[in-house]
Amino acid sequence: MFKKALLALPVAMAVGAAAQAGEWQDPNDVLQNLLQNNPDSAYLHQSEMNIMMMPDNPALWLIDEGEELFYAERGPNNVSLEGCDFGKGPGELEGAYVELPRYFEDTGKVMDFEMRLVHCMKELQGFTSDDPAVARRHGNGSDIMQLTTYIAHQSSGMAWNPPLDHPEEQAMRDAGEVLFFRRGGAMDFNCASCHGDSGKQIRASVLPEMRNGQEWTKAVSWPAHRAGHDNVRSQNHRIRGCVWQMRHAGIKADTPVNTALISFWNDAARGEPAVLPDLKR
Amino acid sequence: MFKKNAVAAGMAAFASVALTAGCAVADGSKGSDVDITAMSAEELAEHLIFETDSFRDQEMQEGGTWRDRMTQDELQKACSMEGDPDGETAGRVVAMARASYEAPESIELGDWRKGAELADSGYGYRQGHRTDDHSQREAGGNCYNCHVFDPRVSDQGTIGPSLQNYGANRGTSEAVLRYVHEVISNPHQYFPCTQMPRFNSDRHQLLSDEQISHIMAYLLDPESPVNNQ
Ligand code: HEC
Ligand code: HEC
Repeated sequence: MFKKALLALPVAMAVGAAAQAGEWQDPNDVLQNLLQNNPDSAYLHQSEMNIMMMPDNPALWLIDEGEELFYAERGPNNVSLEGCDFGKGPGELEGAYVELPRYFEDTGKVMDFEMRLVHCMKELQGFTSDDPAVARRHGNGSDIMQLTTYIAHQSSGMAWNPPLDHPEEQAMRDAGEVLFFRRGGAMDFNCASCHGDSGKQIRASVLPEMRNGQEWTKAVSWPAHRAGHDNVRSQNHRIRGCVWQMRHAGIKADTPVNTALISFWNDAARGEPAVLPDLKR
Repeated sequence: MFKKNAVAAGMAAFASVALTAGCAVADGSKGSDVDITAMSAEELAEHLIFETDSFRDQEMQEGGTWRDRMTQDELQKACSMEGDPDGETAGRVVAMARASYEAPESIELGDWRKGAELADSGYGYRQGHRTDDHSQREAGGNCYNCHVFDPRVSDQGTIGPSLQNYGANRGTSEAVLRYVHEVISNPHQYFPCTQMPRFNSDRHQLLSDEQISHIMAYLLDPESPVNNQ
């Protein structure tokens, strides 16, 4: 399973305000801290059942499978993903997930996690867009979700810290903020229509508020097992679902609109510890 | 809003750089040849929506293309800010909404039972991986997502105010009928930049006059469960 020894290595370099958030923590411990710090958050406390289930989060089952896939020699080129650089160097996964999206020199653009993973599976392993390994994006059985869960788990408890040093990173983050507030589509919605206030409900779902960091870090903590779907879901899957509910046009995977929205929403959770993987309703 | 010229100029200016850097590849895995840092955040947002193949090319239920749906009208532009509009914007939005509203000659209440179904239904206008087919099922009003109408029905939203006993408290005078018709058609006449969608405006008609009359009956008819708590 997850190599604790590896985690004990000096992660302590991540200093600053969020010092204790720099170290790996079990996702359930991260959640418990958020709950304790925010006794009045209706969003965080909405599902007693999910809170109880968190130590046995079904998403944890995907971690082993993801690890195997990561180190297996696969694809037409028969290589592992150890050569994949998620921003911290080839094969360096610790803390990588919470420091995305970022600008990559080799592609000359800002990439979010899934875009980068797919890039590596194609460029290194030789998969094509039509291969099921790449084409299947959703569901517990998909390679993408297993890999995502394994890789994201290596950043659990660490603070969201997407870099903004490169001008393109800043530009994508800022465009993401504009997109978040851009009213449009058949029903005039922007993201803030539903995520602008704390404790509001759409039907039975209590909604997270974007400007409330401790609610928002849980909100953007995907991959998460979605109890209602009985499957582990990704950040991209969440965006697709919300854009669909918003009656905007149908958003595609691996596209810059996704990347910009994720650049902004991870930034909006900056400094707060990630719950990876999480469990949601 | 989005200056096409600026982007065209940007593309020309940076094409040479991109070519020498060898990154002007059309497969999408390489950086684009547009310098995104030369754009304002608003320009970049428009660029990302319209020029990066981020949306499926589908026909919208209301007619038109995905581009038509994603293109903002003046009211949407004016309301694309964080938080409440300032006084000037609010005034402008109210004026815009009023100018485009056409009052029907007479307003009558329809069938509250049909109204209850329409208020409850979230079907309609969704596009993408699953697309709502209006020829199979009529589109609803989504009202329950945001409002409590009848607390005996579970799972009602709280983004908008509770409308429980709405008619019982207000009656069914001509003025009340007119007001409710105005709010459902284009709520920005009273609540500039509200989260509530426009259901019958110059942008498009999401609910027909008949559907609105049913929903109004659900809200106002003394027999409706909304008014019998
Ligand atoms: C019409 C209302 C609505 C709009 C508009 C909307 N969302 Fe959501 N969003 C929801 C609902 C409802 C959920 C929770 C789903 C659930 O609990 O089943 C949610 C969940 C989320 C979550 C995860 C939180 C969680 O616990 O599941 C994030 C992050 C999010 N939305 C981001 C966005 C972004 C970004 C946009 C704009 C592109 C957006 N939303 C627009 C209704 C909306
Ligand atoms: C996305 C959420 C949303 C949806 C969907 C929605 N509303 Fe609203 N509605 C609101 C909000 C918010 C207000 C309060 C106005 C404000 O302050 O912005 C409101 C106000 C109203 C009012 C005026 C209340 C008063 O004070 O007189 C009525 C009537 C109303 N809505 C009816 C409806 C009906 C009928 C539907 C469905 C056809 C509907 N709403 C759909 C959010 C919504």
